Amino acid sequence: MDENRKEVAKRRTDQMVINEGIRKGDKVLDLGCGRGSLLELLIREKKVQGLGVDLDPAKIIHCVRKGIPVYQGDVDEALAMFEDQSFDRVILSRTVEHLNEPGRTIEEALRVGRRATVGFINHGFWINRLNYVLKGSRTVNDVYPLPWYESAPVSFFSLANFEEFCSKKNILIRQRACLDANWRNECNFFPNLFSGYVICDISK
Amino acid sequence: MPNCSTDRPWDTHGNVGIVDPQDFHSPTPFKFENGQQIPELNVRYETYGTLNPERNNAILICHALSGDHHCAGYHKSAQKPGWWDNMIGAGKPIDTEKFYVISSNCLGGCQGTTGPSSINPETGKPFNRTFPRLTIRDMVRAQKLLLDHLNISHLHAAVGGSMGGMQVMQWMTDFPDIPERVLILASTARQSTQAIAFNEVGRSAIHQDPNWNKGDYDAENGPDTGLAIARMMAHITYLSDQGLERKFGRDRRQESKSLTEVEFEVESYLRHQGKSFVNRFDANTYLHFTKALDIFDLYGDENDLTQAFKNVQSRVLAVGFTSDWLYSPEENRDIIRALLRIGKKASYAEMEAELGHDSFLLESQAYFELVRAFLNGPGKEVPSNG
Repeated sequence: MDENRKEVAKRRTDQMVINEGIRKGDKVLDLGCGRGSLLELLIREKKVQGLGVDLDPAKIIHCVRKGIPVYQGDVDEALAMFEDQSFDRVILSRTVEHLNEPGRTIEEALRVGRRATVGFINHGFWINRLNYVLKGSRTVNDVYPLPWYESAPVSFFSLANFEEFCSKKNILIRQRACLDANWRNECNFFPNLFSGYVICDISK
Repeated sequence: MPNCSTDRPWDTHGNVGIVDPQDFHSPTPFKFENGQQIPELNVRYETYGTLNPERNNAILICHALSGDHHCAGYHKSAQKPGWWDNMIGAGKPIDTEKFYVISSNCLGGCQGTTGPSSINPETGKPFNRTFPRLTIRDMVRAQKLLLDHLNISHLHAAVGGSMGGMQVMQWMTDFPDIPERVLILASTARQSTQAIAFNEVGRSAIHQDPNWNKGDYDAENGPDTGLAIARMMAHITYLSDQGLERKFGRDRRQESKSLTEVEFEVESYLRHQGKSFVNRFDANTYLHFTKALDIFDLYGDENDLTQAFKNVQSRVLAVGFTSDWLYSPEENRDIIRALLRIGKKASYAEMEAELGHDSFLLESQAYFELVRAFLNGPGKEVPSNG
């Protein structure tokens, strides 16, 4: 059950970046909250009023144990219950790639939240490209450890794809943090090619 | 399941042991929500575990329609433990090493708390048809008197499934500062049309019984047939299609020679359920409880559940069970959605379960872990540093 240690290290930077953008006392909705480790950090550091959403009952139990309000259910169903602008921030951290209609959910997140934070793996990252070009094969690494035939459906997209989507939908990217291959340090040199992970703070 | 490998199951590890019910007698009139009153009130209850010196470790258990105050341990010379013995005890999810557990028979009941079959001290006869119309709120107010008597002004948690879930919701709306946590299992904030419809069939079976006599029957000569039929039908609503299929299938007890003889195992099971229910339950209590369920509606005239919940302070967890079609997962979700819309600290969890509404009474690892996590997790305060 324990998360891969490398994975945890990667999450840490991701969480720190998200934490920086949150104001004290914000109302935060974390879609795909997992065991609630990000919300736990935000509640501790920023005294946010947090709510998590996840489908996995085992993860729900972790959140309940930590005292983090959590709703077991589908992300779209959870968003539908809230009125416009009910939250200061909606977080989609490594959630978007698993959604059925990512675009619709992101727009819905911006209806329910004044801002949204979307964290995603950049599939334009050069190693991912090389794997396709040289091996003709999808990347298998510690983020995607399972071969395609054992893993849940994932939509691969790049930073360029995301930016194109935002401009098409009139979504403003207020801030962008591009992390390097190990998700440790910022990487702003041709990020669509060299960045492994991207966190965007968006609003309408 | 109790450990049956021993002759003294009350001695098995974790069991609360032999328990004696107690009575709280309030000699003053108890006024019902509808304005009518009874001259005095008795509440029968049991407690397990020890109240701490701060008097803040009490957990109130609210029972369902056919339950009672005896939810854990064994009565003297009894073969079967209380109805929630798997959940309550030392080291169990509702841990009697940590918590002081209080469970009382509901107002209007027939197991010791004043109800239609109790003797009215003013007439010397059972209340029967003169017993006032009862609501979930009346039940909760009787429980509040018991807590006052026990000098408990703070609950670590209020826990209830089904009709008990309605009571704990009433607790958090009527007495928002008392329960720190509220655990709602397989319940609803408003009885659905289908659930009312089933209850009406049960009530009709009782009304049609020649012994019913508009509620004025002798204890020895009550509408047993009607009550048994009501129970048989209601029992189906507590289970599920797949649960019944798995338990009985089309197994035959015997080849029946007449139309009235039992043929299928499921028939035999239901007849047994009906018969044994009559021995421990009063038909008037059944009528009152089912009516109290049916009129329960926290949505109110404005059809807005958030209004009812606006003063809630408790941390709330509702649990739905996938195969429960009486109080469906959706109805449990609705409770939490309303709380979340108005920014309350509430959670919803759903348990994969095959056995329908009664799944909340059955042991499963994830379910028990969830209950334990909730009861041991933070209360009203947000998690603090470390």
